[in-house]
Amino acid sequence: MLARVANNLFWMGRYIERAEHTARFMNVNYFSSLDAPNQLSQSRQFVLHSIMSMVGDDVKDKTKIKEEDVFYNVGLNPEKHYSINQCVKFARENANSSRDMISTEFYESINKFYHYVMNYPKEIFVRSGLHDFTTNVTEHTAILRGKIRGTLLHDEVYALIMLGINIERATQIIRIVKTKFEDAQKATGGYTNPIENSYEWTTLLKCCESYDMNRRFYKKPPTQLTVLEFLVLNPNCPRSVINSLNQIFYHITILDNLELRDKTSAAFLIGKMRSQYQFKTVEEIQKSVDKFIEKTLDTLVEISEKLEREYFYH
Amino acid sequence: MKLNDSNPIFSSYQNNTALYDEIFDENKNVRRTYEKIIELYSDHSIKDFVSLNEKAKASFFNQGITFQVYSDEKAQEKIFPFDLFPRILEAKEWNTIEKGVIQRSKALNEFLWDLYHEKNIIKDGIVPLDLISSSANYLRQMIDLDPPGGVYNHISGTDLIKHSDGKYYVLEDNIRCPSGVSYVICNRNALKRALFGVFNHYKIHAVTNYAENLLDIMESVKPKGVDVPNCVVITPGIYNSAYYEHSYLAKTLGIELVEGRDLFVEKDFVYMKTISGPEKVDVIYRRIDDTFLDPLEFREDSAIGIPGLFAAYKRGNVSIVNAPGTGVADDKAIYTYMPEIIKYYLNEKPILNNVPTFHCSRKDDLKYVLENIDKLVVKPVDEAGGYGISIGNRLTKDEIENVKKVILENPRKYIAQPIMSLSVHATYIDESQSFEQRHVDLRTFTLLGAEKAFVLKGGLTRVALKKGNLIVNSSQGGGSKDTWVLKK
Repeated sequence: MLARVANNLFWMGRYIERAEHTARFMNVNYFSSLDAPNQLSQSRQFVLHSIMSMVGDDVKDKTKIKEEDVFYNVGLNPEKHYSINQCVKFARENANSSRDMISTEFYESINKFYHYVMNYPKEIFVRSGLHDFTTNVTEHTAILRGKIRGTLLHDEVYALIMLGINIERATQIIRIVKTKFEDAQKATGGYTNPIENSYEWTTLLKCCESYDMNRRFYKKPPTQLTVLEFLVLNPNCPRSVINSLNQIFYHITILDNLELRDKTSAAFLIGKMRSQYQFKTVEEIQKSVDKFIEKTLDTLVEISEKLEREYFYH
Repeated sequence: MKLNDSNPIFSSYQNNTALYDEIFDENKNVRRTYEKIIELYSDHSIKDFVSLNEKAKASFFNQGITFQVYSDEKAQEKIFPFDLFPRILEAKEWNTIEKGVIQRSKALNEFLWDLYHEKNIIKDGIVPLDLISSSANYLRQMIDLDPPGGVYNHISGTDLIKHSDGKYYVLEDNIRCPSGVSYVICNRNALKRALFGVFNHYKIHAVTNYAENLLDIMESVKPKGVDVPNCVVITPGIYNSAYYEHSYLAKTLGIELVEGRDLFVEKDFVYMKTISGPEKVDVIYRRIDDTFLDPLEFREDSAIGIPGLFAAYKRGNVSIVNAPGTGVADDKAIYTYMPEIIKYYLNEKPILNNVPTFHCSRKDDLKYVLENIDKLVVKPVDEAGGYGISIGNRLTKDEIENVKKVILENPRKYIAQPIMSLSVHATYIDESQSFEQRHVDLRTFTLLGAEKAFVLKGGLTRVALKKGNLIVNSSQGGGSKDTWVLKK
């Protein structure tokens, strides 16, 4: 397979996944804040800052921002590289460049998705369309994942897309954890216990479509400890970091399992990271959540860079 | 069976009998081939067609079967309009076309070999030397170069029209990078989805075997010493207006779609950059123009070509489909010599008509042209893109005198042809929500390999959607129809 096309497939996967996480984060944060138990969690400014922070466009804490601006910038603004609009545009552009490798069925779905997002009217979105638009984005991405799994040959093409999807998923999950962790530190005191029982943990789980399963697993309201354990270390949770790492490891060995012998390779680094996470405990993480998050993000960036060097630029 | 005025779907069908109508004869009787389909279509109300048309449009759009149009800053995606009424060709009629286009493709191939080798046809005085020497499409780099398998025009697109006399005429041979074949297949799929019932009443040749034949042809011209050739399609990239077709072809051929930047040349061999390192490439179906192929040999500013490709080609290490330099044989001036070219190389009579041409360089022809300018189209031989053309029946008396003067100043520069009329076909028109007469032509696709020739049984019927318009190109608001070739 062409190195350029491999790059396109990888980034297509990443952008599809990114669009979904951004949409869900906006949706859940905004709507859960409407009846949040404490003053700060209910504050519009607090939520808007949180959304901007999640997409990496942090605004100074005291600066007042307009709700319509935030919605527009994160949802539809073609000038903002992080907007859902741009994610979908890039995803489809990458699909175009690798169109001969993917199925007609999958292409048709991504193309429809693209036209849906491009044609969504700005005025409706910023006033009343938030729920409609973001839930449709998550629906579309679910369809895309289904078509990827169900209509493509499970070979290198599939492995590259899955690598992109899972690296992006791990990155987004850890970024969402980071954002909500910071929110929780600010918004303590919602319930009787401060940070351990913050309302933000529920929001966090919902942002990752993992709230119901977390309740099923622990049978108790979420706490900082159970949420971290669930979203980072539970291999059966499809959104957990360790699950993504397992997927990444599996797919890189499909691409080339000889690379594992080279200790400078991406495959080796992925294997190493995965092994460390497999035997980590939540108590260890809890000692220094900030540092753990930083380290995870750095390693994911390093893996992505190594992949690009090894496979995409010959 | 008569054209029934009470039939609502044909309510605004104005049957202009001065034109050759493919469906109705001059007495408004439905031609035999179309009787069944007219009967079946009459079961539908015009509302059905409105909704089918909308659905077909949406389906093309969602599948991304589109081309880009650039206007003021914004790039827009457009679909190539598809018409719900198919063009039907009878087996006998098609046989003649098929034989005719193969004959032309073979003659053109021999002609190209001759032009780049012995030039006998010029020495024998059949084709004038200055026609070749003045042509910008004659590539001196191709002189004495033997393309693998001896084939230049592997893929030919022949444009045919049916004149008011009911006979087919060739309007143009396209042997550079003829496009449109993907639409043949898309149109068939779209019509099947919309009106599958009608397919039960006609025995039609499938159009899905184009890709397998193309791959056969490509493999048949592999470089010497290669066992299983590695074939690729090269495209200028996703912003090219025909990108859909490029990706479609690569997908159905099951081979890689590459861009110039994916390839490189080392020691006169061509390689592509893959995730597991360089991989040798043997046959390239190129969808980029001659002059952009190799910046070292042609246009230096080409960013879409591959430096060193031509050297590899010269050494016989890679095949290029179609060969560079074919453009010299498909221009307007050469076209007029086609009957002579066919006779010269194949010793056969041309099967398909050429539009008769008067060369003002010949004394008798010049006399006829000057006396009949009002009935002729006068064209300069060396201009492209419709410049300097005068259409006789649209000229005033003064203008005719002026054209005469211009011709007499340099008779060698001009040719003249009768004004041809394109046949018309029932076509669904959005604005009037009814079927109306529109002009159509037909592009056929012929493949020529080292040892075989193939014509896609079907072709692209292009239709001029603007009333009275004779120009069927998609850039001028043209659409297309599914084209059926009936089995015996």
